[in-house]
Parts: sequence; structure tokens; C-alpha cells
Amino acid sequence: MEEDNHHDGEAQGVKICDPPSGSNPSADNLATSLSLLGNHMFPDQVVRSDSGIIKRDRDENVHLSDATAEEPSQDPEPPSDPEPKVETDDTQNPECEKESAQLTDGGTEGAAMDNGQSDSGEFVVTVLAKAKLEEQGLGVKGRSSPLLEAGIQESPAFISHRDEDVTADSWRQHRKHVFVLSEAGKPIYSRYGSEEALSSTMGVMMALVSFVQSSDNIIRSVYSDGHTVVFLQKGPLVLVCVSSSRQSEQQLRGELLYVYYQIISMLTQASISRIFEHKKNYDLRRLLAGSEKILDGLLNLVDSDPSFLLAAVHCLPLTSSLRDSLSQILQKAITPNLVFSILIAKNQLLTIIQEKTVIEDTRLEPADVHLLLNLIGASSAFQAGEIWTPICLPLFNPDCYFYAYISYLDPPECTVCLLLLSTDKEAFYAVAECKRKIEEAMVAQNSLSLIAKAQSYSVSQVGVSDLRHFMYKPFDVPDNYRQLTQFTSPEMEAPYSSEEEKMRLLDLYRYMHSRIHSTSRPLKLIYHVAERETLLAWVTSKFELYTCFSPLVTKTCAITAITKLLRWIKKEEDRLFIRYPAKYSTTPNPSKSSKGGKSDQQDSTDNGFLSLL
Amino acid sequence: MPDLSKMKKPDVKVVLLGDMNVGKTSLLHRYMERKFKDTISTVGGAFFLKQWGPYNISIWDTAGREQFHGLGSMYCRGAAAVILTYDVTNWQSLAELEERFLSLTDTANHDCIYALVGNKADLTDPRAQLPPEAAGLPEDQTEEERTEPRVPSACPTPPASPTSPSGALLHKQVAGEDAAALYGRILRYKGLDEKGSLPAEKMCFETSAKTGYNVDALFETLFDLVLPSILRKRHENQESPTVDLEDFRGVGTKRARSTCC
Repeated sequence: MEEDNHHDGEAQGVKICDPPSGSNPSADNLATSLSLLGNHMFPDQVVRSDSGIIKRDRDENVHLSDATAEEPSQDPEPPSDPEPKVETDDTQNPECEKESAQLTDGGTEGAAMDNGQSDSGEFVVTVLAKAKLEEQGLGVKGRSSPLLEAGIQESPAFISHRDEDVTADSWRQHRKHVFVLSEAGKPIYSRYGSEEALSSTMGVMMALVSFVQSSDNIIRSVYSDGHTVVFLQKGPLVLVCVSSSRQSEQQLRGELLYVYYQIISMLTQASISRIFEHKKNYDLRRLLAGSEKILDGLLNLVDSDPSFLLAAVHCLPLTSSLRDSLSQILQKAITPNLVFSILIAKNQLLTIIQEKTVIEDTRLEPADVHLLLNLIGASSAFQAGEIWTPICLPLFNPDCYFYAYISYLDPPECTVCLLLLSTDKEAFYAVAECKRKIEEAMVAQNSLSLIAKAQSYSVSQVGVSDLRHFMYKPFDVPDNYRQLTQFTSPEMEAPYSSEEEKMRLLDLYRYMHSRIHSTSRPLKLIYHVAERETLLAWVTSKFELYTCFSPLVTKTCAITAITKLLRWIKKEEDRLFIRYPAKYSTTPNPSKSSKGGKSDQQDSTDNGFLSLL
Repeated sequence: MPDLSKMKKPDVKVVLLGDMNVGKTSLLHRYMERKFKDTISTVGGAFFLKQWGPYNISIWDTAGREQFHGLGSMYCRGAAAVILTYDVTNWQSLAELEERFLSLTDTANHDCIYALVGNKADLTDPRAQLPPEAAGLPEDQTEEERTEPRVPSACPTPPASPTSPSGALLHKQVAGEDAAALYGRILRYKGLDEKGSLPAEKMCFETSAKTGYNVDALFETLFDLVLPSILRKRHENQESPTVDLEDFRGVGTKRARSTCC
């Protein structure tokens, strides 16, 4: 029986991953520099460094170090430590004061923390001592970017978040901030507010990163009262998440990884490294300009769609005969260099078909599918057209592009979307021809009206009272070796119909997930009595299951309910999951391959680099 | 040559180029769907087929973002008309046309025609703020528009028109003469004789996707101008033994290619 005191239990501090070499004084310095960044900006304000503990991990799995109190027992800790805890307990405030000038100077040299603008100081203070923050009106008034002003006056929706005053309280109150910057400290993306206005904030972030780096360390996270700051360094990019969502560090890092992958999917890893090799202080926004919407969309999805948390895809329930017939339609409409055919309805998968030889022993990863779905969601601007765009699937191959053909099959409703991925940049017309074949076949079989009837299911169909919602993710289904990881979940119904309630349930699931997947003490089974519901999460070698019951359910009831639920899922398996992912072959079939493209497979797979600069 | 294997074979290709946020997608959306709405930054390129009399005109709406720059020449391959779009309130967007986009048109047809379009005219010009539909049915209006609004676009209004009944007008950064001058440079870049080519007055437009001002005129003028190119192409096909490439789809593009070269 676990209690929901996870948050109080969270130790507060800065966590650094330390290579096995012995201790060094950098953590002291880091802590002081953190507080001093605050002091520097607000000379008359005492920075509450007592709510900050510097934690340094010898190993990612060992969650504690010298002075910090987090024992593997995971017992609830006292809400906050009364004493300033900075690595080895010996740092005292007077010392901090003395070192102040020196450290800030060091920071200025070491990293791009040039202009100690007040908003950056404010930011760190916010992170470290939010409770004590006083408004001083020192903020830089949201300098709007000339870049953005240039041409988007007519779409206020587009700029709303970008225009935010980054000194305002409302900005600080966002549940989850995400920042992307280059190693030179150049802003690349901010979820809220314009990157320009935040350049000094990002400079501070980079200062923290490079300060820790200078002593052969990697900064991983900073904990404070209400916020978790998570850092992720990927090649020349630094991603930072500042969250009050109370998710685990691991989950937040996973989300940052999705952001990174989305950037890769637009530019490829190879070209990003190439750009920064040539020019360290390149402004990547030049290439990402216009893609903010895609990143915004991704972050909104990450917050609202459990697929990301579970790293699995959600498919629309369909009778297996209909799904099979759709797969066959896709299988018949192929062209050389076509590698994936994906049919999507209502943002859920209907079926995926893949080329056999190209993908002999690789499979499409859920994360790549998520990125594709997000791209479709963010590019559905104008539905009569057929989109042709390069896209990289970072987990499939982070350095190459596929060419994606995206078209809706049911304009003007635009709920059924066809996505065809080819390795040939020039194959647009050939691939568009496949779409026409698919369209014809679907008309002949009346597929569209059948798809229109398909919908997600209600939990009441399971026939278990007290069960309000669940998420079930099977691991490799035996007859489907190396299948795309999927999960199934009913609609969220009352009492989870409002956005707030949905989010609350998801937060509970995230909490359960973080306990199940805790690096320090993973759990197999959790029965968790929350305020307004009872949750049970269970992970076995065959599946991962999260269930939500009404609050008055008993433990025995819940166990019986789960047995029933598992039986129901087994019975409905064919409908709930894509069971037999079909494959096709575009090469060995001579009648097909003689048609059209003579371009050889090898050549076309890596012709996809965009010419940059 | 994969485009030859297409079922509903487009007769001619028109490409929209220009910097991001100048309103390429909005222009096309206004023309095709008669609506103006917020659009999302285009990814890659979007392909549209427009029935123009007996002809199929394919229109490529490309992404203006630098990210997709590498694809531009592919979209332009074999184009009969290129619409170079800029934003009248943004000088840089005109400069970008010359710097980034002009070279992409190297793959276009040798007889490709070029139109320079300054969008967002409603922000600087009160005349462009009135929707053309205001007077009557859109259909009638488009007929009138085909001749009429070329005049204002040809002799552009002076940049400073500070007073307007409908409120704040933005400063017009790109005057019509600038566009006309660029048009001249484009012709020179293409090695085309200025006298033998279409005049700048005819090929420089100012439009507003928001109000619809001059939008139909732009597309319809262009479509009419590319007709000869379609006819010539058809004629060439008639002379060759392959009248309809559709019949040869099974055989493959190799055959088709050999016949037209």
C-alpha cells in the first residue's frame, strides 16, 4: 500500500551525474552560483538556498549521495530541509557571499551568460526560491522579435504564446515550460514567450550546463519547492524542462526526448551536427522557423495523450475483417521505394503496412508513429491538397529522410488520412497514383462509411462495475513477433469528461507510472487510494495495466475486476489491436518493379539530405 | 519522369514560391475555397489540381521555410509558371525572392512565365480592403476582375497613405516599382529579352488573400497565359506516336520518356 505523498518525498536540490572520479568542489560552486545569480539580480533579497540541495549521483540508479536524505526505503521525507544542503553540508551563507563576485564573473566568461538581465536572474530565483520571490518590476518587457513581427499580424492565434510577457506572473505559472537552446546558448525554442525575450534566461541555463560540464559533470536536474528542472543534452542541443506538473524526472526527460526527436524529424541529426560543426553559434531558428506550431502541438499532445507516457500507439477499434480488408487495399497499391503505408482515422491508427525487405528486422517504433501523427495534426491546414514533405523517423534512422505523402481520403470532413512514406524524393506522382488506387478500392468496398462508424469504446462495455477507466499495454503478442507496441484504452467518460478532470486522471496515471518505473525502486503492483478514486497499476512480463476505480472499491473487488477486464481484453483482442501487421514487397515482384522508377534502391535511400546553406 | 505515370495527368504546372508568412497558402486557399482562414506553416509542399476549362492545372504550394529549401527545385521542375510571392509590408520578403528563390526556378521550363505578387495589400491599401464579392456574386465579379484590377496593381499607389477610414494602415515597404524592377532582373537572370517577354505591368500583382482583392485576377491571368504552353505540349504529344500516356502506364515511363525527347 503506497501513499500519495510522493511530492513531499521529493528531495529538493540539484542533481548532477558524476563520473566515478572523486568529489570535487564544483557542486559547491554550482550551488552558490545558482543562488548568486539570484543575489546578483536582487541584492536585497535573501535567496532561499535552504530549500535547495545539491545532489550528485555517482550512478543514475543510486539516488542518493553523501548528505541528502533520500533513502532507498522511499520513506516520506520531511517536507523540506531546514538546513542548507549543498553537497557536503559545509557550505555556509557567508561563504557564498564572499564568492559571489568571482563566481558570476566566471559564469560570464564560461558561457553565454553575458548580460545578466533581470529576467534571467529572476528565473533562477524562481526555480530555487519561488516562495520568496518578490516582484521588483525589474523585468525586461517582452521584447517582441522582429522576426515574428514581420509577417504574421493576421494570425493572432499563432503568436499568442509567443507574445507573452515573460516577466509576468502568468508566464511563470505555466505548468510546464520547455526550452531548447544551442550549446552556444542561442535560444532555439520556448514553449511560451518569445525566444528573444528569453535569451538571457537561456543564457543562464547554458551557464549552468557549461559550469557543471567544466568539471566533467553533467547537470541532470534541479529540484525546488514546486518545480523540477530537467536538463537533456543531445548533440549540440540542450533541452530544458521546467515543470510544476510533479512528474518524475524520468518522465520529463522522456518528454524532452520527444521534443528532440521532433526537431530531428524535421532536420535530421546529421544535418544538425553538420550545421553546428561549421558554425557554433548558428541560429537554428532560421531552419525551424514555422515549425514552432509542430513543437507546440507535440507538447500539448504529450500533456494530454497517454500514448507518449506509455510509448505505445493507440489504434481505433475495428472488426478484424474490416481491418484486414483495409490492409489488403493498401497492400495492393504500391510503387517502388514505398516503405510504409499508414491509414489513420480520428488521429488513431487504422492499419500500418510495411515493405518487407527494407524493414527486415527493424520495426516502426511507437515514437516515430507519434511524430508522424503529430505532424499530420499540425499540417492539416488545407485539406484538399496532397502534401509531399521530407520527414525523418529518428528512431528508424536519425540521419535520413523519408518522403511523406499525406492526403485526406474524405474531404471535406478530413478524418481519414492516408500517409505513404517513400524513400524516393521524386516519387510524388507515383505515390499519388497509389492514393488514387486506394481511393478507388475504398469506394468499391464502401470502406469510408464503415470507418466512419468505427469509434472508441466505452468502459461500460467491459461490464465491470466500479471500473472507470483503464490503459492496457500488452508486450509482444506471441503470434506477432516484434510488433509495434500498442495499448488500448476506453474513452474518458464522466467523471473525467472535463479537461481538468481528464488531466487530473492522467496525472494520477503519470504518478502510478513513475512509481512502476522508478529507477531506485521499481514496483510491480500498486494499489493507490487517491482522494476521489482508487487506482491499481500492475506490470507483468506480458502486459502493463493501469486501472481507475470508483473510490469505494475494495482491494478484493479490484482484483476480481481486473481478472474480468483481462478476460474481456483477451476476447476483444482482434478488434482492439492491429494483430497481423501486413507486409508487402515492392522489389521482388517483377511485374510491379518493372513499372516506373528505374532508380536503384540503395541510391534513393540516402538522397534525402536537404541542401543547407 | 515519374509525373508521366499519373492518372489524372496535369497539363501544366504552376508553382507558388516565396518566403514564409507571405501568404502563399492563403492566396491559394482564397482562390480554391473562396475563404480566408488562419493557416499553419506549410510543410514541404502541397499539391492541388485545378480544373481550368478542359485542362488540369497542377498547383504546388510550397513551404517558404528555409528548412524545406532543398526541395524547391524539385517542385519547380517543368513548371510553366512560377508565382513569386512577397509581403508588401516586408521589404525582406522581396529581397528573399531574389536571394533564395530565384535560383530554384532553374529547373522550370525554358518558356516559364513569372509573376511577382505582393500579398497583404489590404494592410497598406484601402482599396484592397473591400472584398470583391461585396458588389455581387463571386462569379460575376471574377469576370470583371480579370480585366479591371490589373490597373491598380500596375500603377501602384505611393507608399505613404496614412489616412484610412478603416483604421491603421501599415507602412508599405515594397512599392510597385521595386517589384517591377525585380521583374526586370528576373528576366535578365533568365536571359530573356525584355521586349519579347510579358511586360512587368502585366506580371506584377498586388493582392490580398484576406479580402480576395486581385486574387482571382492573378490566377486566371496566369492560367490564360499558360494555355499556349499546354496547347503546344498537347500538340507535341499528338505528333508523337504516344497520344495518351495513360495507355502506356503499364509499360513504364521509360517508353514515355523516349517519345518526348
